[in-house]
Amino acid sequence: MAPDASLPLLLGLAWLLPLASFALIVLVGPKMGKAGVLAAYVATGAILTSFVLSVIAFGIWHFGHLGYDRKTAETHVVAAAEDAHGSGEHAAGESEHAGADSHAAHGVPTAPPRVFTKDWYTLAQFGALKLSISYYIDSLTVLMFTMVSLIATLIHFYSFGYMHEELHEVVDHEVTLADGHHLHRRGRFYRFFQYLSLFCFSMLGLVIAGNVLMVFVFWELVGICSYFLIGFYIERKSAQNAANKAFIVNRVGDFGMIIGMMALWASLGTFAFGDIDGQQGIFSSVRPSANESQVTVPDGMVKFAATEHVAAGVEATPAQISTWRSEGYGYWLLVIAGVGIFCGCVGKSAQFPLHVWLPDAMEGPTPVSALVHSATMVAAGVYLAGRFYPVFAPEALLVIAYVGAITLLLAATIAITAVDIKRVLAYSTVSQLGYMMLALGVGGWAAGLFHLVTHAFFKSLLFMCSGSVIHAVHTNDMRRMGGLRHKMPWTAYTMLVGVLAIYGAAIPFVVGLSGYYSKDSIIAQALSFWNSNPTHGAFFAAAAIGGAGITAFYMFRLWFMTFAGEPRDHHAYEHAHESPKVMYVPLVILAFFAVTVGFPRLPFSVPKLLEQARYPGEFTAGKLLPDLVYPEEHLSHLPQFHNQAEVVVTFVALGGLVLAIAFYGLRILNPAEVKSQFSAVYRLLWNKWYFDELYDAIFVRPVLLISKLVGNFDRRFIDGFVDGLARWTRAVANFDDVIDRYLVDGSVNVVAAWTYSIADGLRGLQTGKLRQYVMLIVIGTVALTLLIRWSVAAG
Amino acid sequence: MESELLLSLIVFLPALAALVLMLPLFSNQRPDAIRLLSLAATVAVFLLTVWMALDRPAGSDASTRFQVGEASMQDTFARDWIPSFNIYYFMGVDGISFTLVLLTSFVTMLSMGASWNITKHVKAYCILFLLLETGMLGVFLALDFFLFYVFWEVMLLPMYFLIGVWGGPRREYAAIKFFLFTLVGSVLMLIAILMLYFNSDLGRLSRDQLQASRVPNSVVQQVEQGGTEPIHTFNLLALAQMGQLPDSPFDKELWLGHSLQWWAFILLFIGFAIKVPVVPVHTWLPDAHVEAPTPISMILAGILLKMGGYGIIRICYPICPDAGYDLAYVVAGIGVLSMVYGAFAAMSQKDFKRLVAYSSVSHMGYVILGIGVWTAWAGTDYNSDYWSMGMNGAMFQMIAHGISSAGMFFLVGVIYDRVHHRNLDEFGGLFAKMPVYSGLAFGIFFAGLGLPGLCGFIGEVFVTLSVWTYSQALAVISASVVILTAGYILWTLQRVYLGPEYKGPHEDGIYPITPREIAIAAPLLAFAILFGVYPSAVFRYMTPSINKTVGDLATWTKEVKQPRIEAERSSEMELAQKP
Amino acid sequence: MSFFSQPVGVSHFLVVGAVLFVSGVVCMAVKRNALGVLMGIELVLNGANVNFVAFSSPFLRSDNAYALGLDGQLISLFVIVLAAAEAAVALAITLNFYNNHSTVDVDRADELKG
Repeated sequence: MAPDASLPLLLGLAWLLPLASFALIVLVGPKMGKAGVLAAYVATGAILTSFVLSVIAFGIWHFGHLGYDRKTAETHVVAAAEDAHGSGEHAAGESEHAGADSHAAHGVPTAPPRVFTKDWYTLAQFGALKLSISYYIDSLTVLMFTMVSLIATLIHFYSFGYMHEELHEVVDHEVTLADGHHLHRRGRFYRFFQYLSLFCFSMLGLVIAGNVLMVFVFWELVGICSYFLIGFYIERKSAQNAANKAFIVNRVGDFGMIIGMMALWASLGTFAFGDIDGQQGIFSSVRPSANESQVTVPDGMVKFAATEHVAAGVEATPAQISTWRSEGYGYWLLVIAGVGIFCGCVGKSAQFPLHVWLPDAMEGPTPVSALVHSATMVAAGVYLAGRFYPVFAPEALLVIAYVGAITLLLAATIAITAVDIKRVLAYSTVSQLGYMMLALGVGGWAAGLFHLVTHAFFKSLLFMCSGSVIHAVHTNDMRRMGGLRHKMPWTAYTMLVGVLAIYGAAIPFVVGLSGYYSKDSIIAQALSFWNSNPTHGAFFAAAAIGGAGITAFYMFRLWFMTFAGEPRDHHAYEHAHESPKVMYVPLVILAFFAVTVGFPRLPFSVPKLLEQARYPGEFTAGKLLPDLVYPEEHLSHLPQFHNQAEVVVTFVALGGLVLAIAFYGLRILNPAEVKSQFSAVYRLLWNKWYFDELYDAIFVRPVLLISKLVGNFDRRFIDGFVDGLARWTRAVANFDDVIDRYLVDGSVNVVAAWTYSIADGLRGLQTGKLRQYVMLIVIGTVALTLLIRWSVAAG
Repeated sequence: MESELLLSLIVFLPALAALVLMLPLFSNQRPDAIRLLSLAATVAVFLLTVWMALDRPAGSDASTRFQVGEASMQDTFARDWIPSFNIYYFMGVDGISFTLVLLTSFVTMLSMGASWNITKHVKAYCILFLLLETGMLGVFLALDFFLFYVFWEVMLLPMYFLIGVWGGPRREYAAIKFFLFTLVGSVLMLIAILMLYFNSDLGRLSRDQLQASRVPNSVVQQVEQGGTEPIHTFNLLALAQMGQLPDSPFDKELWLGHSLQWWAFILLFIGFAIKVPVVPVHTWLPDAHVEAPTPISMILAGILLKMGGYGIIRICYPICPDAGYDLAYVVAGIGVLSMVYGAFAAMSQKDFKRLVAYSSVSHMGYVILGIGVWTAWAGTDYNSDYWSMGMNGAMFQMIAHGISSAGMFFLVGVIYDRVHHRNLDEFGGLFAKMPVYSGLAFGIFFAGLGLPGLCGFIGEVFVTLSVWTYSQALAVISASVVILTAGYILWTLQRVYLGPEYKGPHEDGIYPITPREIAIAAPLLAFAILFGVYPSAVFRYMTPSINKTVGDLATWTKEVKQPRIEAERSSEMELAQKP
Repeated sequence: MSFFSQPVGVSHFLVVGAVLFVSGVVCMAVKRNALGVLMGIELVLNGANVNFVAFSSPFLRSDNAYALGLDGQLISLFVIVLAAAEAAVALAITLNFYNNHSTVDVDRADELKG
């Protein structure tokens, strides 16, 4: 089967299998074996099959040389980099010597990457506007599929062990009922796997999506999965709040994303990334090959921005459009589209200022934190920013860089004081995501996505180790741990591998763990950017380097507090035990990948794969900020940047490590003293820079206040008006009634009453006495006669 | 089947059943017989509409089934009714009305199923219920403006009694409020109807136009014979043709410098907007919903609100396009206002049903917004695609909201039947006590939240995406509503379903959802999913007709409105140059 | 020339008729017995009859031109017949009244009082 048929089929199947598993568990979950235990097998089987299919797809990609035949142009810059890097330990620099099949791994590509993209089916079509479910498969997609399904599979296995409590009746010690007892509830084993399956489906859909709308669809779906998984312990108030917070904060980001989507949609009339059936997609509109794939404002945006001219009757000929384009029409639309889409990434990847939800999201079970909130879903923001990279204008990239750098420092500082083991890791995740965003923002596309992949492995490893610890000691508080390495060596040493990976441990210039390669390439790119942009670059470089030091400090602090030294809580320590095999075997596998995944000498190393998906074309200088210049990413391999980065980072990170050892390993320094000396700073960090309080004050409360006002306005004002109108009408009616009753009816009744009283008076004459009548007749006759007589006489 | 028979059967079968129910044979002592007969009638109507929706079998062209892809009116027929005023018993369907007819028969059937626990005066209830269905179906199928008005009023009265007799504690207040609000709208509509009728003249239309408007042949001949007297008409299609003429009879100035059709548009729009309802004429809705019994709430939210949107699409815009063009921003703005206002108001509610009612206000705002985005103008080269998308989105939103809000009200009713209160602060923990019910509730509430894969998403997103081309400011505000919607729905779910234990009264009364209740909620959820995943199931019926409506108006903008705008502009410039 | 010195003419009859009439009326007015009242009625009728006869008699009138011929006599006869019939009816009423009330006192018959 040709790859253009087999790849969509394989990945499509891999994508839909978890959905089938989800549907099955929803319908018959509780009946699947005792307490739904079979649900786990169904879900795991589905994701395992997905992984196998992804690996096959990966194989087809690699061994079919699908991405290796791109035209590239060797530039002197790259050549220089190669010279300086003769030993070839660096990621992108290596492949030069690796063989004829990996030309694309370096050099500046001139043609668009090899992509398979097509519509699966159409949601709706209105005239020229079409919305569809489509796929977009390039090496990045294949890589992400493999990575996501691998980690997801391991976490499914791990969850067998971690969630086994849910197979019986559970006593939730964190929930106290009104009668003072702890909550007893039925286990929800199957439901956990049901959500996991839905999540895997959504996440894979997000990766394979061929258009922005589809991305948005799965964006929301992973959001809702995250909502369900964070709120898995629905009885816990904190879990509910965290789930709500996660979803709503994400929606804030989506708000921006929708704006970006609207800007794209209104001006381009398509959401497709690539060209499908001859219809131009977003990428080729913004990076037309006619313009050497440079960022170009598409015709549609120009025309849209120049609406008033069109309305005035100026015909939009191609010549006219290029005139308008050179006048700057439509550029703001491009920036808005980019920044808008990035807003979505900010929400999902927990970047400043929407980073607040991720630490709270640790309320979910730990496998969830490992899968959703470190390796995959939160990385989806970075993935989307990377996927959408060709569309970002330089100004938008600068925004990304600033957001990334601020996030990176902010989260790293908070992680220093946190004592909840998962929260430390959560802030570390936020900080690392900041790294990735920073990398993307300074032009390090491959560096950022490289770090995304390596981070996924070592961070999920770290989370799963922490889960193993929590499973053993039943607390998240590191102050109650210590010395656990004796009790749970597998966990302790795999975690040490993870810590070393995130630390970026290496023998400089020779070999290192995965984090070493990815982090170094980011810092090198930051230095390269600084070189081209002295105004902005210094901050980014400082953030990247400083972040490395802080990371080293808090990660080792975590490890020392947990595993080294003497046990601080003997009760917990006595209870602690190594986790079952089903839990620590995945740790070992992950540890293996955390060590090796960054290794550049493999024929299918991550950087090489990424290079295959790189969109061609240089950045032009920004239109709004003309000074902004983006250096080619290959420039960062120049020794002046790369060696410098390596040396500086080695020392800074070492500094962090030494401090950590001094504080928590050898206990030469006492953290409590430092705490009291810098109490103001400590309080600031302890309270997470007061972001929650700030947002509560400036967003949550005002919204609730406004809603109260609106509710009252409705009741008091509008309803008051309506009811008032009704009252007025009734008052008028009452007045009318009075008039009717007393004036109109009154006069009629008075006449009637008079008549009656007269008649009543006359009644007395009618005595019924015959003789009186005779008398009256006589008298009357006589009187009449006399009357007539007199009147005749008078007349 | 003859189209006349078919459509008449669809409309009057419930009324017929109501007549049968009036026989003394049925007494309140045997309520199940009455309910079953009513249910049978609604099921029969539903089956008829479903039969219509099925694709025609290959090779048979003479069928009354709905022909997918046909944009114009189908199955039309006209009979003399009141000849002296040119009033006909004139009906027909197109994609716009057909989808709503399907929705009506479906939701009515389910809400009849939900009426089983009405025990007070069952016979009267069922009779009124069936009359209500006749009124609703008639509104969607009538093509004669007068007939439309009659059905509009027919639907009003049963509703009044259904709320006023079978409602909650404040039912009289709610029923009267509902009645008066709607009556105000009806009266305004009547004025507009008469304005249009007495200014219409079939003689202005060409033979083709007359035939396209399905004017009976006798009248066509009468028109062709000519005469000085204008031939008035209530024919909605003919009125639309007239409204879009370059020298439309409705263009003459009426009052305050505005044309007749401007005023007619305002009157009709207010009339329909009350029904939708939009802010600020929405306050009847929360009260009516809170007091109405569950099935009536379902109908009210599921169908009655759609009549407003339907009226605006079918009547306001085609007949009064000039006013529609000038007032498009007002319409769209009102839509956005409703969305935001409804969402905020929903957030502050303590009563479960009231919250759902306000969410209806918010969701119906999307409909108005989608209808209002008149993007076909000179600046876009009269490209009507975005408007068409907006209006399709609006129509879809109506269907989606019909399903999700009916479901939401039903689910509120289910819990109300058990614990007899609706105070949001006194729920909690229902997930553990009623897992199936809670699962259904999450599905349907997420449909309301606009989660992808469920029906609410398609309507909301399509509308929202179409707005940017029309107005960026409105687009940004409308996009922000997604946050508020998520806020109030999640908060509600948290307060009602999550948590360790139930906090309110009548805890003993809580029992799991019954099969009958599942049979009502599950189809709603199933359709919510189906339409969310496969929106073409709806679009295939309605898109051609909507595109035709929008396309006609776009052509009108280009050929009639634009010259008018240019003429006005040049005369203004002359005026400016004079001094 | 005084009344009494005149030859008997209409006037004298009229006086007799008037006396009879007045007697009858007084009888009706003062008698409480129903039979007395009936007698009074007869007197009144006959007083009238006397007048009719007197006016129509050709012998009593000096000016024959004004005589009525036999009309008066005819009316008188008619009245007599009528009186007989009336008396029969009235006596029946009285009898009935007596049967009901055991009295013929007309003052007791006041059911027609207003």
